[in-house]
Amino acid sequence: MKLLTHNMLTSHVKGVTKGYPLLIKATEVKVNEVEFNPQFVSRMIPKLEWSALVQAAEELGHRQDLPGELVADYETNEEFLKKVHRILLEVEVLEGCLQCPESGREFPISRGIPNMLLNEDEA
Amino acid sequence: MSSQEDESAGGGSEPAEPSSSPSTEIGTTSGDIITVTIGATVPTGFEHTAAEEIKEKIGVDARISKDRGRVFFPITTDKLFQVHLLRSVDNLFVVVEEYHHYQFKESKEETLMELQQLASTLPWTNALEVWKQNGTLKKKKGHRRGGNTAKSKPNCEGVGGSMASTEQQELPQENSAPEGWAGDTQAMETSTQDSDETGHGSKLIKFRVTCNRAGDKHSFSSNEAARDFGGAVQEFFQWKADMTKFDIEVLLNIHNEEVVIGIALTEESLHRRNISHFGPTTLRSTLCYGMLRLCKPQASDIILDPMCGTGAIPLEGAIEFNHSFYVAGDNNDMAVNRTVNNICHIQKRRADKGSMSGLPIDTVQWDLCSLPIRTSSVDIIITDMPFGKRMGSRKKNWDLYPSCLREMARVCRPGSGKAVLLTQDKKCFSKAISRMGGLWRKQHTVWVNVGGLHAGVYLLKRTGAVFVKLEDAFCVCLQFTSELILNWLQI
Repeated sequence: MKLLTHNMLTSHVKGVTKGYPLLIKATEVKVNEVEFNPQFVSRMIPKLEWSALVQAAEELGHRQDLPGELVADYETNEEFLKKVHRILLEVEVLEGCLQCPESGREFPISRGIPNMLLNEDEA
Repeated sequence: MSSQEDESAGGGSEPAEPSSSPSTEIGTTSGDIITVTIGATVPTGFEHTAAEEIKEKIGVDARISKDRGRVFFPITTDKLFQVHLLRSVDNLFVVVEEYHHYQFKESKEETLMELQQLASTLPWTNALEVWKQNGTLKKKKGHRRGGNTAKSKPNCEGVGGSMASTEQQELPQENSAPEGWAGDTQAMETSTQDSDETGHGSKLIKFRVTCNRAGDKHSFSSNEAARDFGGAVQEFFQWKADMTKFDIEVLLNIHNEEVVIGIALTEESLHRRNISHFGPTTLRSTLCYGMLRLCKPQASDIILDPMCGTGAIPLEGAIEFNHSFYVAGDNNDMAVNRTVNNICHIQKRRADKGSMSGLPIDTVQWDLCSLPIRTSSVDIIITDMPFGKRMGSRKKNWDLYPSCLREMARVCRPGSGKAVLLTQDKKCFSKAISRMGGLWRKQHTVWVNVGGLHAGVYLLKRTGAVFVKLEDAFCVCLQFTSELILNWLQI
């Protein structure tokens, strides 16, 4: 699971109103090489929940020096874009789980696939 | 040579592996560049998409044949390798000759005789040159110039007048779907001809003829045509017939009055290129490509396939339109595992070739009627919806379609979002859309054929209407009604 995907995932347990962002508990993390496309990154940033991304990076120990708030003029800051590229696409959680911040319900991640299926009584 | 030049015409997409390296090894005896016509079979319904791709990557205008599922375009031999960059074509062949208004003889005997005579008069040279360049043989086996006497070349150029009505209504009238792919050359297998080496010590060429025939006015079957035509070809070239281990596949396509003779350039169909782990209803990659082109993915678009099966669609997207990001999801264990296997397979193939292997795609296991995705965060939804024949059921579709369309509307960005949905259950689908309270608007539909089933690819636009949860809507109504009553009471 890449952190770009995590940024969109939310808990949908019945009754939960603050199911985002999901907490990450990772037991196995991998870093891949993905081709860097600056336009992709700079156009993606406005679609993200930035604080959730930083929090997730922190939880994985891969935050490095990612700022808590977006820098101005990031579109032309290639160094910054490269850092964001890395955290969005190259860091992957292979094993672990995602936890709903409100209910505590855990969703397992196996082979990089988060299982978000709910039981009948939770839906 | 110039054939080594840029493959960048496709704009950052990864070139498909050509079946041979372009041209360096050929004995280009003449060194001339020749122009030939290439024919391509494409998924029915996506002929225009293929023509677009051909214009984009090769720079020529393609002609769409009346026989659905085929397009033709010219190319020069120095640019031949470009045809292998095309993602919307299933099979490629080089045209030897085309007849648009072939006048078949009255009787079967005469017709077949004529086909036999045809073999020695066709302009094989250029096509064979192209076939050679495309790669299997190094040396061309010389062919005998026909010592056969005056063959009246059957009329090809439009005689205009007499054949006024050409059967255009293909679907109801067609005798058969293409028949005779197998067993065309049964008579040929028991070839009495011994291996016949001529001087150069070159390998004996093996060939087969495949005939595709459609139309209800023919006096012969595809088997018969393949047999007789093939026999004449063998006689003419002194090749050996072999159904399975052939070097050259000669194609004889007859569609009403249109006759096309060609030589195949692709060995196996290109449509299974990405998938190594199949599922029960895996979609052809060429069809996936067509659907993706339809929604025109932009840079940084977030594209979801909420019922991905083996991941064919998002995987094709991650390879060909790799400036977007894909999330493939399914509720089924086997499906998500197969998807991940397919992704890994491609990544390994890329790594082996020395390129960066990571693809912009992720897989999640979820229930599509309750997506664990933030509202309005997705740009495009693209999927192959269960038809209710091989998977699911018609009855289930009545419940499934409305709920999943609602959920898809929720996660899709209002105003700019799009959906491209393939389904055979057109009635259920249309009804479900019309009951959606204006969240989706039909923009365009492409009619396709999927495994013999007539299906539709619907391109939808997500309207600007904000998605309101049912419970919230109810509360609002209740509040409004109670205010109204109170007002009335006070009067």
